[in-house]
Amino acid sequence: MSAREEILGKIHAQSEINHPGDFKGASEDFDFNASLEVVGARVLTAEELEIQFPERRRYEKILDGLSLAEVEVLEIDGEFGVAENGAIWLTEEALPHRVAPFICQHLVINVSKIVPNMHAAYAELNKPNSSFGLFLAGPSKTADIEQSLVIGAHGARSLTVVIRA
Amino acid sequence: MRVALFVPCYIDQFYPQVAVASLELLEKLGCEVIVPTDQTCCGQPMANSGFASSTEGCDTNFTHNFAGFDYIVGPSGSCVLHLKEHHPSEKIRNSVYEICEFLTDVLKVSSLTANFPHRIGLHQSCHAQRGLRLSSMSERNEKPFSKLEELLGLVEGVEILKPERADECCGFGGTFCVTEEAVSVKMGQDRIKEHDVNAVEYIVGADTSCLMHMEGILRRQGSNIQVKHIVEILNHD
Amino acid sequence: MISHAEASEKFIADAERTDWHDETLWFVREKRDKASKVLPEWEALREHASQIKDHTLANLGSYLQAFEAKAQANGIKVHWAKDAAEHNEIVHQIIADQGAKILVKSKSMLTEECHLNDYLANKGIEVVDTDLGERIVQFRNEAPSHIVLPAIHLKKEDVGETFHQHLGTPKGNKDPQFLTEAARQHLRGHFLASEVAITGVNFAIAETGEFVVCTNEGNADMGAHLAQVHIACMGIEKIIPKREDLAVFLRLLARSASGQLITTYSSHFHKPREGQEMHIVLLDNGRTRQLADPKYKNSLKCIRCAACFNTCPVYRRSGGHSYHQPVAGPIGSILAPNIDKKANADLPFASTLCGSCSNVCPVKINIHEQLWFWRQDLMAAGLAPVGKTIGMKLMALTLAHPAIYRIGGSLLRRFAPLLNSRLNPWYKQREMPETPKESFQEWYKKR
Repeated sequence: MSAREEILGKIHAQSEINHPGDFKGASEDFDFNASLEVVGARVLTAEELEIQFPERRRYEKILDGLSLAEVEVLEIDGEFGVAENGAIWLTEEALPHRVAPFICQHLVINVSKIVPNMHAAYAELNKPNSSFGLFLAGPSKTADIEQSLVIGAHGARSLTVVIRA
Repeated sequence: MRVALFVPCYIDQFYPQVAVASLELLEKLGCEVIVPTDQTCCGQPMANSGFASSTEGCDTNFTHNFAGFDYIVGPSGSCVLHLKEHHPSEKIRNSVYEICEFLTDVLKVSSLTANFPHRIGLHQSCHAQRGLRLSSMSERNEKPFSKLEELLGLVEGVEILKPERADECCGFGGTFCVTEEAVSVKMGQDRIKEHDVNAVEYIVGADTSCLMHMEGILRRQGSNIQVKHIVEILNHD
Repeated sequence: MISHAEASEKFIADAERTDWHDETLWFVREKRDKASKVLPEWEALREHASQIKDHTLANLGSYLQAFEAKAQANGIKVHWAKDAAEHNEIVHQIIADQGAKILVKSKSMLTEECHLNDYLANKGIEVVDTDLGERIVQFRNEAPSHIVLPAIHLKKEDVGETFHQHLGTPKGNKDPQFLTEAARQHLRGHFLASEVAITGVNFAIAETGEFVVCTNEGNADMGAHLAQVHIACMGIEKIIPKREDLAVFLRLLARSASGQLITTYSSHFHKPREGQEMHIVLLDNGRTRQLADPKYKNSLKCIRCAACFNTCPVYRRSGGHSYHQPVAGPIGSILAPNIDKKANADLPFASTLCGSCSNVCPVKINIHEQLWFWRQDLMAAGLAPVGKTIGMKLMALTLAHPAIYRIGGSLLRRFAPLLNSRLNPWYKQREMPETPKESFQEWYKKR
């Protein structure tokens, strides 16, 4: 008997317990900008971005993620932001490579659509799925050393968001 | 109202004043109080130690003593919780009350003649709070409520001080107090430190087990803080 | 193996360090409280999450099969492992096929449960743990002491010393920023060179065949997206039915774990990267046994947030290592006995049953009740310490017979002064209660 058969053989369906369905009554009054600040992201206008990050670069689709290892400032486009927690949904289609938002030193994301909370977010992205996507909320961080918050662990050291009309 | 007084075993043996205060208070409030004299224990010490399978004799004795009562009232949150959750008789489970919840929910007490002009540190015993829901808990997102404070509010002169961690466990935990002695005592010392900071005269709660544990530490420390069961305060003239 | 009680006593002997450990974790609990109080729907979310998990566990077989079918259709290779040994063999085979001798791994408590690192080391394969906390304890040859904050038992001086030894950072430097930067550079080298990456799985979606990995550091992604082979290890209980369900869990997870709104990265792996091999290993290792027991099946709802650790007054004052197996704290104490009753018989007793854990649990696991049930099962299995069973039988006899109880009580009070001895564990740091002249019943008789 394979492990699969053995494992499935030990699991017996239990009494009727229904899925509770979609969650109702979630809060919607969140401020995307405030949430961005909480997660350590910075908001700039398009004009400020030009001044702060003139060296930023976009990249075409590439096959070898390692070729992005020296990128200082990467600019990409997010699908939408989530006001509740400052997260931005990124899809593989919008990235030069899956590793891009992690391997660069500094990240700039343009976003134009904002949804209130995670329930709305999943409603938004429940279209034909990307083969990879992520919610990205702020720069990489850790508090593993005596609970001291350090910004810039393994992923990008900073996140700058531009909210485009 | 006909009420049977449940006297927890360790209160019977070591803190009889708590049962005396319970009896007197219930009578003051117009209850006819019967005290079954062959009662022993609720069975919790064995059950919590993993020997619930050995409590049959104890449970039978309890049923025997308290048969026919609609209200069985006792001054112990943890004992009452144990009975409500584990006693084999449905009638017993449905008839047992911790004394504070009996006063607020059944007798609906709205005034007391008690007088106790002292600073008291409020101790939330875990089983009374999280099990019997005598007060709201800090873990949940819920509107604050407290049957203990409601009752203490009826006592003249009482000043209630709360420790910084309002509902952290004191560390008694039944046989835990000796099987994990180091952690138990550390937890108790930490609770006491927070009451000390508030310069209270008494630590007060609804479970004498917690108070007994903290009192043991206080006496060893040479502290002047004393402990009292809440019913002793509610009954204090 | 040293029991929780013995280990805790040693831990507490350093009272100052215990206070520091306790305060640090209490602070995390407070952050969780702040975050939860912001959402009026918090308790409703917990209930919803609990119901989703209940439903999933009641239909686990069909959801696992649905997940497998979808994942395979998306090009992910699905493996099944009945126990830790089989899991390690499968993972090793995949690595050996690739020919890798060193690889990166992000946080996976499951791989701790299986002792994967040691297994692979014995096969000549080095695993580099890339979560900062895990890398620190790996350098120190210690187990993680907390499932979310692996190095919470260490002070920055300790980390500074460890990095000085292993990374050549200046002696005495204990600045977290500086040390984290050193770790970043060191681990970046490994990410860029690694052909194989192992990650855990936070959630696997039956509807779509995808899985989600949540980190703050970005280490799981730095490993997986550059590796030729990505191996994701997951317990069969990590399945959830639909994508929309993720909204509920992602809203609860980070808030419960640390008070954060969401982890920095919540990566949804749906298909392998072009040209990459993606594997997922589904592990049982006793989970089906836990599932079949109505008393304990709820423990499988766990989403590994560690809120129960942070609130537990015992954990905070004894430290994760006192629990002598990979998952410490309250949840560990109800999972571990299922894996090895004898070795973990002490854990369900390392608790006052205060109930705080059950009330911070985002999926409403009745942890304190399961601790009580385990006590019954372990004693019934004959695992009581010597003398305890006899003591309990005596107590049962006494409490069943009023006359014996009364005699016993008055004897106890008469000879109580004898208990004022160092042989009495109560008396070590506490005075015994005063002995009243008469019991309540004796007083009442005369009334």
